Amino acid sequence: MFRYYALILVASLFYGNVWAQAKINISGYVKDASTGEVLIGATVQSKEANRAVRTNSYGFFSLELENSESTLVISYVGYVPLERTINPNEEKRFNFELSPIGREIEEVVISGRKQNKNVTSPQMGALNFTIEEIKNVPVLFGERDILKTIQMLPGVGKGGEGSSNFYVRGGGGDQNLILLDEATVYNASHLLGFFSTFNSDAIKDVELFKGGIPAQYGGRISSVMDIHMIDGNNKNFAAEGGIGLIASRLKLEGPIEKDKSSFMISGRRTYADVFLKASSNETVKDSKLYFYDLNAKINYRFNERNTLYASGYFGKDDLGYGDLFSFDWGNATATVRWNHIFNQKLFSNTSFIYSDFTYNVNVNNDNSDFVIASKIENINLKQDFSYYADSKSTFKFGFNALKQKVSPASLNARANSAVNSINIENRHGLELAGYISHEWNPVSWFAMLYGLRATDFMVQGPGTFYTYDEDGEPVGEEKLTNSNIIKHHFNLEPRLSASFILNETQSVKTSYNRIVQNLHQLTNTTSSLPTDQYVLSSINIQPQYADQVAAGYFRNFNNNTYEFSLEGFYKYMGNQIDFRNGADLQANEYLEGELLYGRGRAYGLEFYLRKTKGRLNGWVSYTLGKSERQFDQINEGRWFNARQDRTHDVSVVGLYQLSEKWNLGANFVYYTGNAITFPSGKYEVDGRTIFYYTERNEYRMPDYHRLDLSATYDPIKTNKRFKSSWSFGLYNVYNRKNAYIIDFRENDDNANITEAYKIALFGIIPSVTWNFKF
Amino acid sequence: MRFLHLTFIFAALSLVSCEELIQIDLNEADSRYVIEADLTNLSDEQAIYVSETVAFDAPVKNTPVSNAVINVRDDKGTTYTFTHQANGKYTAPFKPKETTNYNLTVNIDGEIFESSSYMHDYIDVRSTGITEDVIFTDTLYSVSLKFEDPKNVPNYYKYNISINGKDFSFASVFNDKFNDGLIVTHELSDRKNSIELGDTVTVRRQIIDKGVYDYWNDLQSINPGSAAPANPKSNISNGALGYFSVSSSKIYGFRISFN
Repeated sequence: MFRYYALILVASLFYGNVWAQAKINISGYVKDASTGEVLIGATVQSKEANRAVRTNSYGFFSLELENSESTLVISYVGYVPLERTINPNEEKRFNFELSPIGREIEEVVISGRKQNKNVTSPQMGALNFTIEEIKNVPVLFGERDILKTIQMLPGVGKGGEGSSNFYVRGGGGDQNLILLDEATVYNASHLLGFFSTFNSDAIKDVELFKGGIPAQYGGRISSVMDIHMIDGNNKNFAAEGGIGLIASRLKLEGPIEKDKSSFMISGRRTYADVFLKASSNETVKDSKLYFYDLNAKINYRFNERNTLYASGYFGKDDLGYGDLFSFDWGNATATVRWNHIFNQKLFSNTSFIYSDFTYNVNVNNDNSDFVIASKIENINLKQDFSYYADSKSTFKFGFNALKQKVSPASLNARANSAVNSINIENRHGLELAGYISHEWNPVSWFAMLYGLRATDFMVQGPGTFYTYDEDGEPVGEEKLTNSNIIKHHFNLEPRLSASFILNETQSVKTSYNRIVQNLHQLTNTTSSLPTDQYVLSSINIQPQYADQVAAGYFRNFNNNTYEFSLEGFYKYMGNQIDFRNGADLQANEYLEGELLYGRGRAYGLEFYLRKTKGRLNGWVSYTLGKSERQFDQINEGRWFNARQDRTHDVSVVGLYQLSEKWNLGANFVYYTGNAITFPSGKYEVDGRTIFYYTERNEYRMPDYHRLDLSATYDPIKTNKRFKSSWSFGLYNVYNRKNAYIIDFRENDDNANITEAYKIALFGIIPSVTWNFKF
Repeated sequence: MRFLHLTFIFAALSLVSCEELIQIDLNEADSRYVIEADLTNLSDEQAIYVSETVAFDAPVKNTPVSNAVINVRDDKGTTYTFTHQANGKYTAPFKPKETTNYNLTVNIDGEIFESSSYMHDYIDVRSTGITEDVIFTDTLYSVSLKFEDPKNVPNYYKYNISINGKDFSFASVFNDKFNDGLIVTHELSDRKNSIELGDTVTVRRQIIDKGVYDYWNDLQSINPGSAAPANPKSNISNGALGYFSVSSSKIYGFRISFN
């Protein structure tokens, strides 16, 4: 196994060297001049060579130049471009600092090469945003939320009213890999999904891959959402915060040693429970209902070649009713990264990552006294290299070892409790993965990014492994008392995307990827709950996989003011999981016997038009899609619509700078209702009306649509460090009662008559937030 | 699991929801046969109901079937033949016995539906009581039965409830997955109407087998938030809806009053 990876590594290095010529590479970082924050995806361009590179996720770039004086243009959205003349013979390492564009409305004309990365890059199916870009998009309760903005992009299905869940290209909500500084976030929502765990104060930018996923990512079959936390201002101490209806936030950042190291700490807490304190009822007074997030990061630059980053996240939701009942859940992540620059061409990052998700239930009443605890955790060691071989080739390669442990809910009863303790065995898995990818620009009209990822998922002991018959009854067992490996799931995951550049403003791209997933979430309700079970691939559960092909046309207009794309995709999903009727998913030793295995397919067209500059900017996105599943034991083996199958999904986002003080935002969403199972008849048993179901998901929820508005008032105070602004929001402006649940029940007066009720969650909701900064 | 129900209460409280009656066009499916056979040792006469499903918007609850041929046979070889009375109700005069297995055969126009159910020994109740819970500002009453669950065997319990002499309706089923062999208290309330001070409450407790438990547990687990509601798993063959249960049962009476 390892010999194989090593061989690829060595081969790739030699390959690069063979092609190296008498040219010189320069390298360095691009940073924000006011905060020292590294800029991800900034462009460094050589005017003479008419060649540009982008900074990686650590702000690092490497650019090959002719052996003579060169003029470089460094640019980034929202920043004043910088032009520098350099001589690569004299200096090879650079720190370029860009200043943010101020408040002036006038559009800054970007000199040099046009901003047409979306057209020329071979990457397709990728979208990225900085927090700055979306800060005026209206949101529920005025809580800025990156996950809700992501939902307004083409090919990304909305999770439902107020939900931070999302579905990419017909895939499931558990098929998205959500990374926060490279650490897996298992459950990205708070308060049953209404808020995401990402406090926007602490986030720098987000990149979402829907297709053509590069080989360095793996583990979830539908998408990768790569979120980077800000590093912290290394020039000046700064504080920023806000007071809103639902939550308040505070962020502190500053240098530890100027220009060398910095810290950032950011917190957020909701305070719905403050109102409970006003109650006269003692039990209510002692009740809890809140969540909080804490993000922290420090970095230290040892020298020009070595930088160390340590970051972490901790968040928790807490519900409690007196001391009778409490329920808390949350994620924790920790990442330590070491960036090392071997030379102008070879960049290395070593990461050590931990993350977990836990929930605890505490019941303490007259006859039951117990604790339920569940945990899923992983330790991940990752080594990534970027090798900037020459102007035509960039290689990325690396490996990682991921150890996962799932501790299903176990019940721990205290003495004299009316329940017994139940312990369900932990499950262990070790995944070794190696990858190599090559971005290749052989000629000006063609570029490709291709690679291969190899994974070996090892199902480990200790544990009892059962085999099941067709009906899910256990028929055999094998006990492992040590951490021996009972099964290997070895997979090769080829990735490819290519672009054919027709001219400066137009290109055609195509991509293929295979991705494998070894962690599976079991949800049998319409909203994902913290108590959902996770299972690893096992001797019964095969890894899920997806094969996706996509093709698209990309075009920019008006000097790249408008970006347009049309993408089509087809995705096949293998080894999908569903349940038997009445499956018992809680504390069940024979859980795997309750599972059914099938397949899925999804296809669609995505239309995207974005205006990136000017006083009015925003985008229109439209997705026409289909997503289906097939299980032999469900729906008599016929294909049925996946719940998140959406024929039409439309989002319009408009942001307008009215004046120097006022910014306005509006968004409108419309989508076809979810596919859902409704009764086809009824009958009576024990005097009770019972509904008779036939086809799975053959009905539709009513179509969903909504308009939101926002306004931000930013008074100008000169010569003052302290700045404050007000954000006003209106969610669901025309008070549409969108159906959240359709409930069928007997008429109260005449039990012979059955009726359908629509339950709506949020009508019109105003919000106001006061933000400050100094 | 009870904690989940509590969670939903919290969730419901924290939301500003509203509901309204709507019209939905539902397809009409081919009708299916429904067999409801709940035999107990409470009576000397046993009843089985046979009907067909009706469309969702039909003004009746079902269509009775009057031409079924129904036999129940115990494991000692005795066969009991049921005769049609009216409206799909069939009766036979006998009282089932504990630790006996019963087989059901229903023949409707040549279509055969079969099932079997085992009648367990009754598990006696040690004491009964009334529980008062104050959730925020509402006082909720429930009745409770305390008993010792037999150790090392799976046990299944079903309760029907009647308030102020109305018809019995299904309350809950329980298993002993989490409390095998312990002193267990089952708390019961009515699914539709709350129990008020001054009410007379009657509870029918049945010791059922796993097949019957699975059927009722499926039913009680379906809620409007279910991702994919489905027909409960019946213990009757050949696609019939409903269930066949033979159980040992007892009735308990309560009066909700100040202690």
